[in-house]
Amino acid sequence: MAIRNTGLAAAALIALTACGSNDEAASSDSPEPAVIGERQDNFEQIGDAFRVIRGELENDAPDMAVISANAEIINANAMKIEGHFPAGTGMDDGFDSEALATIWERPEEFAAAHERLVSASEAFLATANAGDSAAVAEGVPELGAACKNCHDTFRLDDE
Amino acid sequence: MTSDAVKVWDGWIRLFHWAIVLIIPAMWWTAENGEMTWHMRLGMVLMALLLFRILWGFVGSTTARFGSFVAGPGAVLSYLTGNRREEAEGIGHNPAGGWSVLALLLVMLAQVGLGLFSGDPYDGATGPLNHMVGAMTAGWMTDWHEIGFNVLLGLIGLHVAAILFYVFVKRENLVTPMVTGKRKGGAVVDGMESPSVTRGIVCLAIATVIPLWIWFGAG
Repeated sequence: MAIRNTGLAAAALIALTACGSNDEAASSDSPEPAVIGERQDNFEQIGDAFRVIRGELENDAPDMAVISANAEIINANAMKIEGHFPAGTGMDDGFDSEALATIWERPEEFAAAHERLVSASEAFLATANAGDSAAVAEGVPELGAACKNCHDTFRLDDE
Repeated sequence: MTSDAVKVWDGWIRLFHWAIVLIIPAMWWTAENGEMTWHMRLGMVLMALLLFRILWGFVGSTTARFGSFVAGPGAVLSYLTGNRREEAEGIGHNPAGGWSVLALLLVMLAQVGLGLFSGDPYDGATGPLNHMVGAMTAGWMTDWHEIGFNVLLGLIGLHVAAILFYVFVKRENLVTPMVTGKRKGGAVVDGMESPSVTRGIVCLAIATVIPLWIWFGAG
């Protein structure tokens, strides 16, 4: 009976660990800086806006007003990124973040990657405002590449 | 186990059950830690396990069959309100547990199905069939894939709570039978009936071919 109960307790423990482990494992003692949530929301909005644009382009008659409004969001949010990465707010600092230390180790490279996104989003917005959906569709891979460019180097690899 | 032990779960069901116990935490961990290639590989294994379990629910051993444990609402209500006569006589899932099993299977199946199409090509990993759906569809599928995991956690919690209730309140150990396949017979005379090993192997082969085809065909 004792052996059975041990096995049972182990099984229950494993199951309960799986239940409880939904919480993020933040190991830092200091409270999470608000900027982490702000920049995550900012990136989330960029991702959502880009998805809406691509979804719109899949339609037979894309609504150019929707595309322009979302291109505007991407461009505005892209410019906010500059102030979103103060030192000590990365993943290695124990926060619930995927921001790699390379952001602060290679600041010039990070600044260049940011600049690439800003200029790509500006060009994309100009194309969107010009009203030609085919031209917008052609611009999607380039803007997407500007997003990925940063993810590949400065965000936790998720492959 | 005494000589009056009866067989309640076949080897296939036990293997399926404990494989799920290992794979669900592993899938959570890989998703949380950006190991998406492994997450998707495990997802394909989970798909094979689930497809096997569905096939086994129709042609497997008696206690594995949906027909033997999916009870009507009347039976569930009667069971939950204390009329547990059938429990003393029967083996396998009780009327409430049967629905718990079905819910767990359906949510895991939905998770696998949603995961196939989830992700965004410009924002991290994508499921093997992501390219087959539009950007907006992939978007809501990704959201529901995340919500679905929390639903699954709730069902697992309920499942574990029921097992603990059986141990501490009803003084009945349900875990050992899931390991050994046997339980003390008591009033029960007949154990389960198993089909041939060949049938199990055929079901497993069918269940494995589909995820393999998705994984290698879609790449």
